[in-house]
Amino acid sequence: METKETIIEILEEIRPDVDFENETSLVDGNVLESFDIVSLVSELSDEFDITIRPKDLVPANFNSVDAMVNLVNTLQDE
Amino acid sequence: MENVLEWLEATANRLPDKIAFTSETDSGEDVEVSFKDVSNKAKIIASLIIEDGDKTPVGVFSMRSATTPILFMACAYSNRAYAPIDMALPKARIGKILDNLSPDVILVDKESFESFSKLAKELYADKTWKVVVVDFGCDIIRTYSDSNYDAPSQENKMTEESIAEDKLSKARASHKGEDALYIIHTSGSSGRPKGVVTSHESLINYIDSYGKVMGIEESDRFGNQSPLDYIAAIRDIYLPLKYGASSFIIPKKYFMDPNQLFTYLNDKKVTSIGWSVSALTVPLSLGAFEEVKLDTLRKICFSGSVMPCSALKVWQENLPDALFVNQYGPTEATASCTYYVVDHKVDESEVLPIGNAYDGYDVFLTDLEDDSKVIANEDKEGQICVAGISLAIGYYNDPDRTNDSFVVRELSDGSKKRIYKTGDIGVIHNGLFEFHGRMDRQIKHMGHRVELDEVECAANSVDSVTESCCIYKKEKESLFLYYSGDATKRDLSLALRELIPGFMVPRKIIKLDELPKLPNGKIDIRTVEEM
Repeated sequence: METKETIIEILEEIRPDVDFENETSLVDGNVLESFDIVSLVSELSDEFDITIRPKDLVPANFNSVDAMVNLVNTLQDE
Repeated sequence: MENVLEWLEATANRLPDKIAFTSETDSGEDVEVSFKDVSNKAKIIASLIIEDGDKTPVGVFSMRSATTPILFMACAYSNRAYAPIDMALPKARIGKILDNLSPDVILVDKESFESFSKLAKELYADKTWKVVVVDFGCDIIRTYSDSNYDAPSQENKMTEESIAEDKLSKARASHKGEDALYIIHTSGSSGRPKGVVTSHESLINYIDSYGKVMGIEESDRFGNQSPLDYIAAIRDIYLPLKYGASSFIIPKKYFMDPNQLFTYLNDKKVTSIGWSVSALTVPLSLGAFEEVKLDTLRKICFSGSVMPCSALKVWQENLPDALFVNQYGPTEATASCTYYVVDHKVDESEVLPIGNAYDGYDVFLTDLEDDSKVIANEDKEGQICVAGISLAIGYYNDPDRTNDSFVVRELSDGSKKRIYKTGDIGVIHNGLFEFHGRMDRQIKHMGHRVELDEVECAANSVDSVTESCCIYKKEKESLFLYYSGDATKRDLSLALRELIPGFMVPRKIIKLDELPKLPNGKIDIRTVEEM
């Protein structure tokens, strides 16, 4: 499965009430809560075998699905 | 001392212009409130809600803002308890809380008014309650009556001339230490929230004892983590009033980003925090201390669930000179009843005791089968029970559950006491209490009390759900819900968001053909836990 589809699947499981395809302000717009971020970081780390560090935890990396795809790709290349 | 207002007034006289509370707007600007502001504005608002002899509670809807303590103190000046309610809760839950309180006055800040009026029009179209909306930005108070939220029935400028000194002093003269100060709602296993009523004297005793243990002084600066409608916030609200210290309400989003969180604590020169255990462990799992260190923090109290020593060890290594205190206790005993000062460098495998009773608290164990039998010997498990001045008055408007948990017992040591049965299992080991889990299925999820029964109760009420079983996976800090029935995972999750608060909604939902059963037909929770 494509990275993007996998991420959307993970997100929809955590928060099915959110339209992830079109939302571009997930963190800055207070759509995702801390409970969601904690689940999300652990799921992404397991699924893609990456380590998400504090410097990665800026809103810009989590505001949209595309941003998360970029983050995952970057961390996989490291 | 019988009234928290004595603290507020003494401090407002001594340090009128010192900033008591600071919060941050979404656009990153500081909102600051001085001690003089807290006292004066609270009196002005109180003058509008005070009714002779009326002690019914006031519902308060407000943001996590520096101005919210003003609304709380306005209730105290009118000699009424405040019941803070989070506007972000599902409509159905707010409805249950309001039905139980049936307030005749509701205080709302301007920022929460739009959501409140929408909800009130939908759920309570013909209420005669008085809704008092405070616009702190413009210093205007608007009053709405008879469920007409389109135009205020009264508009007042917030000026000192509008303080009704006579009425306020009359209310003050009739005040007693055992009068209710606040009502805080917690999870109830049947799905009906419980409103814990706490008196001025209980709160005063807790704050005095906590301040002593933590060595709090005027120069301290607190970093508030908890929502203001939640029990843990009482430290960040009342310690400043007592000591003339300052509190900083940390924006919630910073807790997802340890670098930003630590930078904020350093910028504000925060010296003292009282946080939930997860607020200390989650940043570590996100790599805290790797890139930003803490410069000013030196007094740390944690509570809410068991602190893993592997995490405490990292905190101790990074802050070798700081004081660490493990605190234990339920909302029903005014936040906490025991404390343990960590007096050594911990090693990863040890389990921290919950220590000894705070001043003014009487904590003991009773037999798990017979709660009149006190257990005095060491290393025998019993139910942790609490007595003393800091016990809550009870659950608001709920004599059945009050009588169930708060009982008067003639104990086997000959004494007769009103005790609160915590439902927690404890032992005494080397003279210190240890926590050994729950008698029922209550868990702590990122600092919030959650009854797993309540989550299941909500799930089972959803159409096309046959059965469900909710468990907590501690290592993942996540709630898991297993269910059977025709409902899709998505439908179930969406339905739960309408019924219970966001923090209770499981982030992992798993559909099964059938739940595993014990021979007696009950759901086999052990097997589900291993799935």
